[in-house]
Amino acid sequence: MQWLEAMWSREGKGIPKDAPKRQGLALFVEIIAREFFELVKLNLLFLASALPLITLPAAVFASASICRMMVEDRNVYLLRDYLEAMRAHALRATVWGLASGLALWICVEAILTYGAKAHDNLVYAVPFAVSLLATGFIGLCSAHFVVLSVMSQRKVLTILKLSALATLARPLPVLAALGFAASLWLLHVLFYPISVFMPVTINISLGLFALSFAANKAARMVLGGIDKNATESAGGAFL
Amino acid sequence: MASISLNKLNKTFGALKVVHDIDLDIADKEFVVLVGPSGCGKSTTLRMIAGLEEISGGELRIGADLMNDVPSKDRDIAMVFQNYALYPHMTVYKNMAFGLELRKAPRDLIETKVQEAAKILDITHLLNRKPKALSGGQRQRVALGRAMVRNPEVFLLDEPLSNLDAKLRGTMRAEISKLHKRLNATFIYVTHDQVEAMTMADRIVVMKDGHIQQVDTPQNLYDRPVNMFVAGFIGAPQMNMLPSTIQRLGTGFVAVFDGQTLPLPPSFDARLIEPYVDRQVVVGIRPENFHEYVPADIDPAHTAPFEARMELAEPMGSEVHLNLLAGGRPMIARVSPRFKSAVGDQVRLIVDMTHAQLFDPETERSILL
Repeated sequence: MQWLEAMWSREGKGIPKDAPKRQGLALFVEIIAREFFELVKLNLLFLASALPLITLPAAVFASASICRMMVEDRNVYLLRDYLEAMRAHALRATVWGLASGLALWICVEAILTYGAKAHDNLVYAVPFAVSLLATGFIGLCSAHFVVLSVMSQRKVLTILKLSALATLARPLPVLAALGFAASLWLLHVLFYPISVFMPVTINISLGLFALSFAANKAARMVLGGIDKNATESAGGAFL
Repeated sequence: MASISLNKLNKTFGALKVVHDIDLDIADKEFVVLVGPSGCGKSTTLRMIAGLEEISGGELRIGADLMNDVPSKDRDIAMVFQNYALYPHMTVYKNMAFGLELRKAPRDLIETKVQEAAKILDITHLLNRKPKALSGGQRQRVALGRAMVRNPEVFLLDEPLSNLDAKLRGTMRAEISKLHKRLNATFIYVTHDQVEAMTMADRIVVMKDGHIQQVDTPQNLYDRPVNMFVAGFIGAPQMNMLPSTIQRLGTGFVAVFDGQTLPLPPSFDARLIEPYVDRQVVVGIRPENFHEYVPADIDPAHTAPFEARMELAEPMGSEVHLNLLAGGRPMIARVSPRFKSAVGDQVRLIVDMTHAQLFDPETERSILL
């Protein structure tokens, strides 16, 4: 058993205080490596708490809240902080879930309808393109809304405005994060059944972490002028 | 009030008695170092104070309260261990907060205390890291931080720097001393390293075989050791012990070692030396009391030439340690790097007798105290 003790007690290289902080993708990988087991636990927690379905939006907000703490290199008491975040954001998350779901459903319906009609008449290509853009905008805006909500205590309308602003200011990182999350599911499908445990262990939390990481800089940017507390509490270098 | 009092404190393991009726009073806010070789009972004494070892006999009081049967957690003490004893699965923050969480402290208070301690120890950037990634020095800081957040009246430190490399030990030594001044708490520190003891302590307790040999300030221990063990243990390189014979010379006394006459200065109490005339004593001379020539600030009458054969020279940069052989006894002299001599040469040095010590060879106790 001594090897086991040595594994725990062996001294590390140390963490230099003044070493330059990693940026962008390098920081993203570093945090994942450091917090991997926490992300696995978060994934399990998410699945357990989202089982009743009605709690799904609150679980998303709670997970995003935990991910935001990881991004900001803050200490996380997983279960305690998760449950508190769920309780704190339950109402807003539920409204967000319903509104986003409805908006995206309308957008998808519009895309399908105008897409089919554009086949016969090119005039419908314009509303089809608008529907596509609107879907993308609402998707990105919705993602920013989640991150902004867990970062700030401001009113829904303000957060909504800030989400739109953040989406216009920095759409690409969140788009990349959504692509990353989608690729995790694609991997799951491609390598099934080897990847059978991916959704249970990491897919959801890692996807939400990517989203939180990507949206963090835009969120800080738009909150910077208004929500001083959020800016002050945010530390480290981000994407 | 965190004064600590040990009255006839002892510890036995079966038939083996490892701590023998120790009496020691430690003042509030004092930094006391227990020092001694391995197995002298210093860690056992500390663990009895901490409540980690049952007290076999005697009394332990913290303030006015008898603590013999008080559980460790109720003694308002915090202990830092040699191996850090951090929880490997917890982050630094959680390691530091754990004690307060167990006591159901409010979350805001925990946050404040952890951040404060982290700031003092300069480990704010480590709070969200696991111990596995930390170096020895960083781990030791975390262990100190974990003790600090509880704001105890008494800090017990059991060889906390032993696992660190020499450079880091020096840095941490200074940091612990600063911490003591800043926290204004009572510190009891166990070490086998006399340099740590000398540099950090308000008072040092020298222990051997479960007995206290001497309790005094570092300088007094160095200048006025009560016996040969303390004289040899404190100081590096250690004191040279020369078996000599005391003889009367005119109105004074001299010690004769290997045919060489060493005058005893008049500051030595003649009444204490008188009974040893024509008897064997041990003259203790520290390595730095050998010189190449008579120093300007010393009366030449209190010095004597001293001849020995050089066996080895160890250059230390700022000084040279000469390993000498005189009267068949190995000795060490600290001289300046300018001193030139070859191995095997008969060297002639000046010995300053004003700081010499005299010991009774049978009892090993100092004759001069």
